[in-house]
Amino acid sequence: MIGFVVFSLRRAWQGFWRNALMSIAATATMVLMLVLLAGFWIIQTGLLSALDFTESKVEVVANIKLDAAPAAITELQTRLEAMPEVAGVSFVTREEALARFQQSMREQGREDLTKYLDSNPLTASYEVKLIDPSYATPIADRLREEPAVRNVLDTKDTAQNVKAVTDILRTAGTVILLVIGVIVLFIIVNTIRLAVVARAEEIEIMRLVGASDAFIRWPFVFEGAMVGLLGAGITLGGLYLLSDPIGTFMVDFFRVLPLSFGSLARDLVVLVTSAGLGLGVLGSWLSVRTYLIR
Amino acid sequence: MTLAPSPSAASRSLRDRIRRRGRVQSAADRAVLVMHDVAKTYPNGKTALLDVDLVIPEGDFVFLVGPSGAGKSTIIKLLIRDEIATRGQVVLDGQDLARLPRRAVPKIRRKIGIVFQDFKLLPTKSVWENVAFALEVTGSPRRKIRPAVDRVLALVGLTAQRSQIPSQLSGGEQQRTAIARALVHDPRLIIADEPTGNLDPLISWEIIQLLLRINELGVTVLMATHDADVVTALRKRVVALEEGRIIRDEVGGAYHRAD
Ligand SMILES: Nc1ncnc2c1ncn2[C@@H]1O[C@H](COP(=O)(O)OP(=O)(O)OP(=O)(O)O)[C@@H](O)[C@H]1O
Ligand SMILES: [Mg+2]
Repeated sequence: MIGFVVFSLRRAWQGFWRNALMSIAATATMVLMLVLLAGFWIIQTGLLSALDFTESKVEVVANIKLDAAPAAITELQTRLEAMPEVAGVSFVTREEALARFQQSMREQGREDLTKYLDSNPLTASYEVKLIDPSYATPIADRLREEPAVRNVLDTKDTAQNVKAVTDILRTAGTVILLVIGVIVLFIIVNTIRLAVVARAEEIEIMRLVGASDAFIRWPFVFEGAMVGLLGAGITLGGLYLLSDPIGTFMVDFFRVLPLSFGSLARDLVVLVTSAGLGLGVLGSWLSVRTYLIR
Repeated sequence: MTLAPSPSAASRSLRDRIRRRGRVQSAADRAVLVMHDVAKTYPNGKTALLDVDLVIPEGDFVFLVGPSGAGKSTIIKLLIRDEIATRGQVVLDGQDLARLPRRAVPKIRRKIGIVFQDFKLLPTKSVWENVAFALEVTGSPRRKIRPAVDRVLALVGLTAQRSQIPSQLSGGEQQRTAIARALVHDPRLIIADEPTGNLDPLISWEIIQLLLRINELGVTVLMATHDADVVTALRKRVVALEEGRIIRDEVGGAYHRAD
């Protein structure tokens, strides 16, 4: 058994270097495909977390009547917090609302019109975060019936749009990743098959002298695994060297916090390594199949 | 729990064997190879063999002759189970090849040494490595490979050329390397498909002499050939095929029918 493994590994190593050009071609194909896979995955993950972020912003805003009694206001908060659909409630005072308004005007470079007013026209409000955007409408309806509530800003449309986009992206992303996987497998099978065909003579002799299928197949499978791991290593090395620009890109483009980049990197290592290994092994397995004993 | 001895499978089979040894063995019992009522039709509809009955006892030396397309190579493909008979039985060393499970095929091939017209040597490996290859790829431990390879190289007289690669050898030496490789598994049967087809007459005789010597060591030899001079001169058993049928099977025969 150990002899068999040593034999297969040694032959895989020899096979890899004997046909170095072919092996480099296979590895380059693998790297290209893995980069494609990784790139697509990064973009998809970025988009999804950006949407998650937007999704988390979805909330129902209830403006409070100016004349509402403070007791009624606190009582409303208690009831809101008790609702199972509600993820969190935050109270924005009239002063905070004014400050926010002034800041947003400043950011947009517009004149602050509030300085011409002699009193604060804004109301206090409750910003209600929901555990799922689909609860926006029922919660908004309930809030409208509250006596202390003046009006309700319902972000229902945004909520549903975001959810629809996220769902589509998740499904389409999975489908596209699978399609890329199949294309990669097809290309890898054909590249490795070239290596197998180049050694058809050797395989024929092995069969004639009574080598078992395992002795014929496993050296190629190990060789495929080598191509896969080498390809994954090169891909990950390249991504590591580019991790700063990629991180900046993620933050700038998708507004994903750098914090999540650590776990992203770990997922990426797992994805690229297992894809490389899996494709290499499966590719060789399929490529030698036709050369085994009928 | 009783410790009473019960007849174990091992002791039973031993008793069987002792009983069998006392019996006079029939020719078929001692045969390395039995083909009975064999027909082979290729997937394209071409019938290459029909009504073939052939028994080759242990230690025989058999020439398989016949015009091109008669079915000689087809018989050989059936024997190494490269092809499977459409009808009838091909029994090699007691095993029916048609009923042999796929995974048992490599084992049966190790009992046969195969030699081809085109040598089938690996061009990048030395003589020694080409012979050792047959043992390596069948999982032989390394310590057994070295003495076995040295022994067969001495037998075919290639000890001096052991580190040369095939392109540095004459045709005869290449074929002797192939024969060494065929012998390295200690086969009971050597099958050679036109082993002298690519060699000039003098070198052909050398190869035939080698096969005869191997036969004297107790290995059964089946050789397909077009070499009329050799067959006629040696007066061994000759099986003649024509259009897929055995038309002649005589001991001490010539290449052509003696009319
Ligand atoms: N794989 C195949 N598929 C279809 N027909 C085949 C196949 N192999 C051989 N044949 C046919 O079977 C017949 C016997 O072929 P075979 O190779 O056994 O002849 P042979 O006696 O070895 O001839 P030669 O002396 O030329 O080597 C031929 O008519 C040949 O065309
Ligand atoms: Mg032939």
